[in-house]
Amino acid sequence: MFIPTLITASIILFIAINVVPGSAARAVLGLQATPQAIKRFEHKHGLDRPLYVQYVDWAGKAVKGDLGTSFQNSVAVGPEVLKRIPITLQLAGTAFLLALLIAIPLGSLAGLRHQKRADGLITTIATLFGSTPNFWLATLLVYFFSLKLGWFPTGGFTPFREDPIENIKGMILPAISLGIVSSGLLIRIMRASVIESMESNYVETAKAKGAGDVRLLTHHIFRNSIIPFLTVGAVEFGFLVGSVVIIEDVFRIPGIGSLVLVGIINRDYPVLLAASMAVTVIVLVVNLMADLCSQLIDPRQVRTMER
Amino acid sequence: MLRNINWSKYGLVIFTIPLISLIVLSASLANFVAPYDPYALDVMVMLEGPTKEHWIGTDELGRDVLSRIIYGAQISLKVGIVAVVIGGTGGTVIGIVAAYFGGFIDNILMRLMEIVFCFPAILLAVILMANFGTSIFNAMLAIGIIFIPGFARLTRAIAQTVQRQAFLEAAICLGVPGYRIVLREIFPNVAGPVLVEATVAFSYAVLLESALSFLGLGSQPPEASWGNMINTGRGFIDQAPWISLAPGAALFATVFMFNLLGDGLRDILDPKLNE
Repeated sequence: MFIPTLITASIILFIAINVVPGSAARAVLGLQATPQAIKRFEHKHGLDRPLYVQYVDWAGKAVKGDLGTSFQNSVAVGPEVLKRIPITLQLAGTAFLLALLIAIPLGSLAGLRHQKRADGLITTIATLFGSTPNFWLATLLVYFFSLKLGWFPTGGFTPFREDPIENIKGMILPAISLGIVSSGLLIRIMRASVIESMESNYVETAKAKGAGDVRLLTHHIFRNSIIPFLTVGAVEFGFLVGSVVIIEDVFRIPGIGSLVLVGIINRDYPVLLAASMAVTVIVLVVNLMADLCSQLIDPRQVRTMER
Repeated sequence: MLRNINWSKYGLVIFTIPLISLIVLSASLANFVAPYDPYALDVMVMLEGPTKEHWIGTDELGRDVLSRIIYGAQISLKVGIVAVVIGGTGGTVIGIVAAYFGGFIDNILMRLMEIVFCFPAILLAVILMANFGTSIFNAMLAIGIIFIPGFARLTRAIAQTVQRQAFLEAAICLGVPGYRIVLREIFPNVAGPVLVEATVAFSYAVLLESALSFLGLGSQPPEASWGNMINTGRGFIDQAPWISLAPGAALFATVFMFNLLGDGLRDILDPKLNE
């Protein structure tokens, strides 16, 4: 399932990026470019061929690891993308971890206290978090914690190997901006998951057998809630990786997200295509990993698949 | 009897409706409500903090921030409505078609929807905007397209459960034509959940439009859109934080209110949740 999805996704991206023909040449050469110059540019980069030929050509090279060269400066795109992936992964990973740290306890509590006051309060907090515009939250955080208090840098990125402390300091505000927003939906998923398993027969049985509250939570409710939480949570991770495009721009972090924007501003299609493909691959791999993880926790899923 | 109504169920809707009306009214009556022309420059009051004349201060060109926020609401609401209409209509049609015909058509349509759905929305929006060109109209279109898979999945799921019901079988046995089955039996059942989804999608559209404008890919300056204002205000955040933070607060409040309304409508329309 993974490979066909990847191929279809790349086709969709390819079409989405090339919907409007001719815009690349004009963006690179400027508005004053003569028709001849545009023709020459398009011929040089193979943009005058039919779209499907361009796609097959691109895909064939991409499989071998060649993602093309930038229109702007003729640099190979592949190494640039590879260099940026770890930065984006660090940011998205930290943010997601933060979101989980908020969502699992709050969501479980809301689920356990279903229909009580704590539930209502936590659900409203979840909606509040989920409604926050991340770029505004980022601006707000920079204003208070960087400019007023001077605790964190306003932006930029220091590699971990150069200075671990500066690296972590630089990641905190971006990770909060992304993580708080993501935790909104994750709280709801965790809550729904806990409520569902609390209503199930095995929890009734465990209660009847005299399992205490703590044992009930850790052994019966929690383990069964975490599976649906993981699979749906992975989808939320996808949204989070997408938001990286904005947050990396705000904090001037040189990851994949800012490469997407560079590609767009310069109409540098090879760069844009490679960067957005990288984001898509990250999302798909995370979804795949979540599926595998839930199989590890719940062996029944493997059996139903084998059937 | 009024006494028999479970009022707690309506709490969220009753709470949000006045605030949403306030936002909608001030946006649609912006010409009368806004104290200043949102584009009128006044070099005498550049970067001035909140005063009696300018309640939320002025921006780097001396424009009244409050007036610009009110006019910005107009843009946000317009984008939200049009995007939801595009996504809702497209998605509902695709969902019902997939459920009604089933088989091969269903398979192809839903596979495609699933794959589009797994792209991060903001990434797709950004790419589409780069292609369509930056304008409000294109932002509406791009956001609308992104909403289609969500609506399609929802509609298809409900339409499929409706199709398994006895009353639909009865209608088919009675020889009711296909278009009437879709319009009279399937569509009314789909409408409620689609309305809830539309409310949430609306708030998401407002958020996405602001994000696009913030990145410089949506409405362009000097147009008074919230995303625009937050972005340009960042350059003056140290001296005049209100330029950036106030429109952001308006955006946050609007999105929050519409999300709460969505929660409230879900409480009312889905009785299962209240058991």
